[in-house]
Amino acid sequence: MEKFFIDHTEDTPRVELNQEENIYEISGKSLPENAIAFYLPIITWLKEYNRNHSESIIFDIRLDYFNTASAKQITKLLLVLQDLSETIDIKVRWFYLEEDTDILSSGLRFSRLIKVKIELIVLPD
Amino acid sequence: MLKDNLNYIYRGLFTQNITDNILSLTESNLEKVGESSKIKKRVFTIMVEGLQNITRHQEIDGEDTLLNEAGLFLMQNKNDRYYITTGNPIYKKNISNLTEQINKINSLEPEELKQYYKQVLNDNIISDKGGAGLGLIEMARKSENNLVYDFVDLSDNYSYFYLNTEISQNITSQEIKPKTVKKDIDSLKTIKEIHKILNSENIVLIFNGIFNQESLLNLLSIMESQMMEHNLNLKKKVFNIMVEMLQNIVKHGAVNELTGENLGIFFIHQKDNSYFLNTGNYILKNEVEELARKINYVNSLSFDELNEFYEKSLFNFQIDSSKEAGLGLIELRLKTSKYLKYEISDHDDKHSFFVIQTYVE
Repeated sequence: MEKFFIDHTEDTPRVELNQEENIYEISGKSLPENAIAFYLPIITWLKEYNRNHSESIIFDIRLDYFNTASAKQITKLLLVLQDLSETIDIKVRWFYLEEDTDILSSGLRFSRLIKVKIELIVLPD
Repeated sequence: MLKDNLNYIYRGLFTQNITDNILSLTESNLEKVGESSKIKKRVFTIMVEGLQNITRHQEIDGEDTLLNEAGLFLMQNKNDRYYITTGNPIYKKNISNLTEQINKINSLEPEELKQYYKQVLNDNIISDKGGAGLGLIEMARKSENNLVYDFVDLSDNYSYFYLNTEISQNITSQEIKPKTVKKDIDSLKTIKEIHKILNSENIVLIFNGIFNQESLLNLLSIMESQMMEHNLNLKKKVFNIMVEMLQNIVKHGAVNELTGENLGIFFIHQKDNSYFLNTGNYILKNEVEELARKINYVNSLSFDELNEFYEKSLFNFQIDSSKEAGLGLIELRLKTSKYLKYEISDHDDKHSFFVIQTYVE
């Protein structure tokens, strides 16, 4: 599968999806004016994921901020991972700064609502 | 709609980052209103010099500067003119020197001012903080107008120095003309009144202008720097709420039919350890009822119900467009744990004006 890469900007995160190297990561801030447009290619990429290639995926989410519009698209993305988890072993690693109760509680919320293994990982401040 | 369509104020500590963002806020706004490149350049040069003056002189000798004595920057656009005003504390012993300098500059005609600039440059009189009055000459040259100034007593050693520059938006000829000397003497009087209100209400930032993603990012960055010394969670809360409130304007603000501009106002004031965030924008009359219903509903919910409603909305993909995720208002109430205070008033036959206030501690 073709690699997917976009660098971060002031209002969008860095995204790297690479099946060859087994790297799946979103990091940074997410507050685009149009969150749907930003997340659509990422969600599409995951939907077209070649299930025969990999046996497991570790998906890293290292967001230090996302707006509500992004929250909805992240929900969609996690639902795609939930679908994929029927055939592939999937683990989401949700990183948060120790002080950052916002990101921690969104991680907890998603781990409660999405049927994918979500591991919460604390980062030292 | 709003008469003065570009108007903003920042009051507080000026860091490099804040200065940069005030500049790019201006740049993108002047761009959006279609200002000529000549005027843009003039406004920009004057702003750079003025902001530099503030950053150089904002510290009061080792003491913690009170916010009332902190730097001030105002940009106003009215009657086809831009007014740029800076304020900062200065040593009283420097007043006579500064007054002399400005009066000299004001007494010169454009051609003489040019010569004077060269002379000062050559004399190479560099004060310990650099500049040596070149900035003031440059401001006077670019504005083609007198510099208006005033001093107000602060303490035994310090006064507050106001400097006001005016730039006409109508420049017809390329040639250097004699100064227009059509001073709006009252402009500084008004500004001193505004400053009093800013001080008594503890207003940090006012932005009255065009709302888009770009201005939102500049405003966010200014506030991030302004709140530097606060704890992460307060900073994040303010950041969070600002994004939701400002993106609400970007997405739902009624666009002026003539100019295509999405105008609104945003201001922040501080009380004790709380930040109050306020926005005002135009909305179409046919959207008023629905908006009021949504806010009233969100206000009627308990904290648990709010969380439940948030989660329900998160998975409600019926409401999922580039304009609307259906979460913003719930988030505002969740993050502030306060009722959302709002008011909707009639503006004209098509538009209403919507103001909302939130605060975080």
